[in-house]
Amino acid sequence: MTVSSPSVNGDPKIADAKSRGHLRLLVITASEDLLDGLRRYDLWGRVGFLDIKRRYRRTTIGPFWATISLAIFTAVMSSIGVGLWKQEPAEYMPFLASGMMVWLMLSTMITEGGNMFISSQHLNRMRMDYSILAYALAWRNLVSFFHNLAVYLVIVAIFLPKLITPTILLVIPGLVLVAVNAVWVALLLGMICVRFRDVQQLIATVLQISLFVTPVFWPPHLLTGLTRLVFVDLNPLFAFINVVREPLLGKTPSLWSYLVILVVTLVGWIATFKVFSRYRKRIAFWV
Amino acid sequence: MTMATILTENVGLDFPIYGMQRSLRRALFQSATGGFINKKDLQHRHVTVTALTGLSFQLSDGDRLALVGHNGAGKSSLLKVLAGIYYPTSGQVWVDGKITSLFELTLGIDSEDTGYETIVTAGMLHGMTQSEIESKIPEIEQFSELGEYLSLPVRTYSMGMTTRLGFSLATVFEPEILLLDEGIGAGDARFTDRASARLHELAKKSAILVLASHSDDLIRSICNKAALMNSGRLVKIGPVDEILSEYHIEKARSEPRATAG
Repeated sequence: MTVSSPSVNGDPKIADAKSRGHLRLLVITASEDLLDGLRRYDLWGRVGFLDIKRRYRRTTIGPFWATISLAIFTAVMSSIGVGLWKQEPAEYMPFLASGMMVWLMLSTMITEGGNMFISSQHLNRMRMDYSILAYALAWRNLVSFFHNLAVYLVIVAIFLPKLITPTILLVIPGLVLVAVNAVWVALLLGMICVRFRDVQQLIATVLQISLFVTPVFWPPHLLTGLTRLVFVDLNPLFAFINVVREPLLGKTPSLWSYLVILVVTLVGWIATFKVFSRYRKRIAFWV
Repeated sequence: MTMATILTENVGLDFPIYGMQRSLRRALFQSATGGFINKKDLQHRHVTVTALTGLSFQLSDGDRLALVGHNGAGKSSLLKVLAGIYYPTSGQVWVDGKITSLFELTLGIDSEDTGYETIVTAGMLHGMTQSEIESKIPEIEQFSELGEYLSLPVRTYSMGMTTRLGFSLATVFEPEILLLDEGIGAGDARFTDRASARLHELAKKSAILVLASHSDDLIRSICNKAALMNSGRLVKIGPVDEILSEYHIEKARSEPRATAG
């Protein structure tokens, strides 16, 4: 019963248009998506900004709620940490506060990455570069981090000015590395989670445990031997925390952390690019 | 002068169905709404619904095509393939011209956003820069006649208001190829006269229009061609009156059976 209009295949006008490149196929490749998406910084900047705005709409102090909860958490938790691990409050409090700031950013990026395509029902309504969602995700989490960072810097500058040294500028490359990795993590986890819905629950569980086995509450030097190797040296989450947290404490991050991140970045981007190239066109079916 | 073309070559679309319960699967299999369910293996691990099969047709400047067929005939799937949202699982779609699609009433990313925010986001999603779309805001304000409502979240809008905002947006995008689904409100009883007027204006501006609708009046007033679809196949493409009468004959034939089953 298929009806094909007789003119389709042999039509010289169509053949001509195809050869002149007027007719285009409706396909977006993975690299087109990633590059065109990156170029639309005006769009993902806006989408990320609106996401934050929406979250805090009708609240009075907006994003600073995250900062306040972090401050309360630090105040309460540090009294326990100081006793448990025999720490100096003046050292432990900034350590805990800065560590939690970075942890919050990383864990939110991972969680939201897993949810990125699942929560994007608009993908089924329009053609778009999917990477825009990942860039927006990385951007809005950096913005939230800057809210916390501003408050942290003010408090530290008043009470512990010695922590603020030129080393603090190393925070910038640290955050760049976080952002570069957040994009692939969001794309890869987003694709996996939208196809296999169980993975999202798995990520939540893993993240919950990671908070305790990664040196956020406790100083890394307390561990030795194999446990140190597994939970500190080879722990990519620790590497990312380290390259942002150490500069905030006036220290230089270890070269090892940068090496771990370099490997994670390369492996992660290669894997993501392969998966994205292969399955990009299936994503609309999975949403 | 715009030169727009749509060319489909043997387009087929198979939907994968995930996590389907046995009962739901059985229900789908027995339904009379169209589409074929394929069971690729006995364990039913890979279940797909064939939404489109072997579609080949060509549209060029001035074509205003109505897609007719009962629910599940593949009209919306075809529109989504033409929009580049779903990639055909077989065959190819070639296009010349800027495509704008209006499928559902949520136009931006989130209905919590205000009308103004939605206008800018939607414009940027369609490839405009922020200043380009912002310069069009007065035009949209005037065209949509939404006034103060544009400062309120889109979720507070009525169906008619959202439709008007959608058409106003589509007008400033200056689409060469416009794809419209009945989901946008076209053709149903809530579709207001004013929104209908917008639709006509919009149809006049675009080089090619493809509209999926159940409303004969709307189709007759806008379209100059119609395509009858059934179970994902293109049965016939031709003049509006001929296709519509064929559709009604088919509908009359199948309806007693559907109600009996």
